[in-house]
Amino acid sequence: MTSSNEVGMEALTEPYYAALRRGELVVQHCKACSRDIMYPRHLCPFCYGDDLSFVPASTRGVLHSFAVHRIGSPTGFENDLPYAVGVVKLADDVQFLARLWPDADGDWGGYACDAEVVFRAADAAEMQRRPVPWFGLPG
Amino acid sequence: MSDDEPVFIGIGEQPSGRYPNRPFMGDLVRVGVAAVADAGLAMSDIDTILLIPCLHSFADQADLVFSRVVEELGLSQRIKSSYLVHSGGSTSDNTIRDAAGLISSGHARNVLVLQAEKWGSAPVNEMIDMLTANGIPREWEKDSGLSFNAVGALITQRYMHASGSTPADMASVCVALRTWANLNPNAMYRDRTLSVEQVLASKMVTDPIRAMECPMLADGACALVLTSAGNARRLGRDRWVRIAGSGGCVSHYSIGQERDLAVLGWEKAAVEAYETAGWGPQDADIAEIYDSYAAVLASGMEGLGLAPKHEAARQFARGEFSPGGRLPTNTNGGLLSAGHTGVGGGTALLTEGVRQLLGRAGPERQVEGATRAVCGGSGGTYMDSQVLLLEGVSA
Repeated sequence: MTSSNEVGMEALTEPYYAALRRGELVVQHCKACSRDIMYPRHLCPFCYGDDLSFVPASTRGVLHSFAVHRIGSPTGFENDLPYAVGVVKLADDVQFLARLWPDADGDWGGYACDAEVVFRAADAAEMQRRPVPWFGLPG
Repeated sequence: MSDDEPVFIGIGEQPSGRYPNRPFMGDLVRVGVAAVADAGLAMSDIDTILLIPCLHSFADQADLVFSRVVEELGLSQRIKSSYLVHSGGSTSDNTIRDAAGLISSGHARNVLVLQAEKWGSAPVNEMIDMLTANGIPREWEKDSGLSFNAVGALITQRYMHASGSTPADMASVCVALRTWANLNPNAMYRDRTLSVEQVLASKMVTDPIRAMECPMLADGACALVLTSAGNARRLGRDRWVRIAGSGGCVSHYSIGQERDLAVLGWEKAAVEAYETAGWGPQDADIAEIYDSYAAVLASGMEGLGLAPKHEAARQFARGEFSPGGRLPTNTNGGLLSAGHTGVGGGTALLTEGVRQLLGRAGPERQVEGATRAVCGGSGGTYMDSQVLLLEGVSA
């Protein structure tokens, strides 16, 4: 069963997806209370204002936690194994789920909770297919 | 204790595990009949049925909504109200609050709470896909590829980082639960022992969680009967269980939005519960806390004040929560060893808490003199932390 949320969501999703496809990370911003919002909402969850836009986000964040899928994945991700996801917190007091690039050793042993991570978009085809933020280790 | 105070007087349970020949509706009516008999009531005394949902089938869940249980139990024209309550794994806590409110306000006299699940017999890939596809903002995070085990892994990774717990410490939580399951004839793993070495030798599924640290999906069924204290006295019951305190906290919807994955909502849930109870975690005789992954249980033990901050997993490793330890915890084996019966995992823990306080857990497992229980539930992506503080009362 699909969610009724999917109908009419383009106004909210398209600017966000379009930025990711350009290799940029944006977050939602409430003009009334000047707070950043992630994930994007229909009304500001702080002041319920509806004058919401997207603004460039900090590309540096802190990894709150991460998990490496090795056996078993959601349908459609079988060929991605192994792959990692993490919860990234930005300085703008927003956080979200992201994909994590493998480290220099081709695995994720170089990652640790509370380590600095930086936004590094996947290629255009991947961003077209799955518009989510990708983060990696600095350098 | 006032006459209109709600109390538990009966329980019923079917063994958890893989029982493909035990139909869903058959489990529901059998466990219901057992609980009503345990309560010393006739089925016709029940005027309200509260239903805890199954996740294995939308059609079976729809049968619950359409009051099939009422008809199957021969209670058409007799039951005032039959309805489904749903908040995932914390449903049992919310259902008991509903039952309590109905009884103390006079809307219900005798409430039968029913739960059955067929996760152990359902196609496992469909169930895992269902769990994975829901409870995540589809537009924003689903394309990250988060799986349900990864939700547990994110919590575990953070918990291990914050507490300095080792893989062996985390494995020992599973081992402690297994020692309890080995004493529970209704547990999925009643006949199989488990060691830390076995856990650590099992395959890494989603770092840092290994195969033997993942809950096994199971069939199972539970029922509880609640009435008023006045009614329990009139019935001549010698022991019942009151709800001394209750508290809860919804901390997130998406796991990507949880502010602290090692804390969740437990600390906030605890404050109100202990305040209303007038007793604290140091007074608990047993704990029955949601445990679909070891770190979920460890965070619950700490947030509810049952272990010092960052020490829960190490205390499990020292046997403090095992049979004979300082605080018997998840005495049925928990979800990890009694079986993950979907929404019913929390119901089984709650049923075990009531069973212990009624003194009916049998010679091997009964915690002597158990009077106060801390029961904790958590739903879905651990979006909420719910606590009920229960007290056994003798007539």
